[in-house]
Amino acid sequence: MRSLVDPIDHLQLHSLLQLSVAGVRLDITQAVLFMWIGCGVLVTMFLLASRQTAVVPRGMRVVLEVLLLFIREDIVKRTMGIHGIRYFPVIATLFFFILVCNWVGLVPLPRSYTATSNISVTAALALFVFVLVQVEGVRIKGIRGYLRGFIPEGVPSMLLPLMVPIEIISLVARPFSLAIRLFANMLAGHILILVFIGMATTGFWLLKAVPLLGAAVMSLFEIFVGLVQAYIFSMLTAIYLSEAVGES
Amino acid sequence: MDSVAMAWLGSGLAIGLAAMGTGFGMGFMVGKGLEGVSRQPEAAGAIQRLMVMGIAFVEALALYALVIALFLAFKA
Repeated sequence: MRSLVDPIDHLQLHSLLQLSVAGVRLDITQAVLFMWIGCGVLVTMFLLASRQTAVVPRGMRVVLEVLLLFIREDIVKRTMGIHGIRYFPVIATLFFFILVCNWVGLVPLPRSYTATSNISVTAALALFVFVLVQVEGVRIKGIRGYLRGFIPEGVPSMLLPLMVPIEIISLVARPFSLAIRLFANMLAGHILILVFIGMATTGFWLLKAVPLLGAAVMSLFEIFVGLVQAYIFSMLTAIYLSEAVGES
Repeated sequence: MDSVAMAWLGSGLAIGLAAMGTGFGMGFMVGKGLEGVSRQPEAAGAIQRLMVMGIAFVEALALYALVIALFLAFKA
């Protein structure tokens, strides 16, 4: 008997609204819709939390304050020092956006979709981080200092023709690894959950409980993975920024 | 063997071998982390955070292999 759930169809991008602007297709796909939903959730949550005026926070605000403090102290200040506080808003935004996109996709609705399990979304995020790091590096260190970053210190000049290309390759490889890490993590987790659910729709009824339990456990684990991946992405952004901006 | 069978074989091998390597790496990492925590329980928080970060990096390698495996499986 074939499984009723096809993981691949579920993970494919379905276009909800055909749009094209000046010959370029700009469809409203599930990824776009779920990013909008994520943004809406974030904005409402923060607006509601910031409406509280009491000194002692209550409810959702406690969680948001803990997360924001964690980002400020453990991600931004630890890697970039006190001057890195300039980049706190962008890193916090990246963290919360990725977190919410990861978690919104886990809500078991008929057509739910994880925007971060799409390579285009994560590639756009990684490209944004790449451009930000380069621009900030040039702005803070100047074009000479930026170019000097490609020459490792204490390396004999004989080795430079070898070292400079390696530095450039490692620089260009960063956005790829950023994008693929997030995308593959979210895709793998969701495929696993869907395969478990697919198993639960076939076979002898007594045996269905096992994959169903597996799907529940994996869903819990995915909540953790979503948090860790958001942390990793923002932490790496902070590390790259601190490397580009450092010694200022 | 035709190319479809080869692609499926390759995709299976890709994820299997990657899982083996990642398993070794994660095993070392968690083992060393536990050693550090048992030796110095007060540093548990810092060790745990660094360990989780390291695990995420190692895990990413297996996931790259998973992407390759999926490409191979669907090319077939």
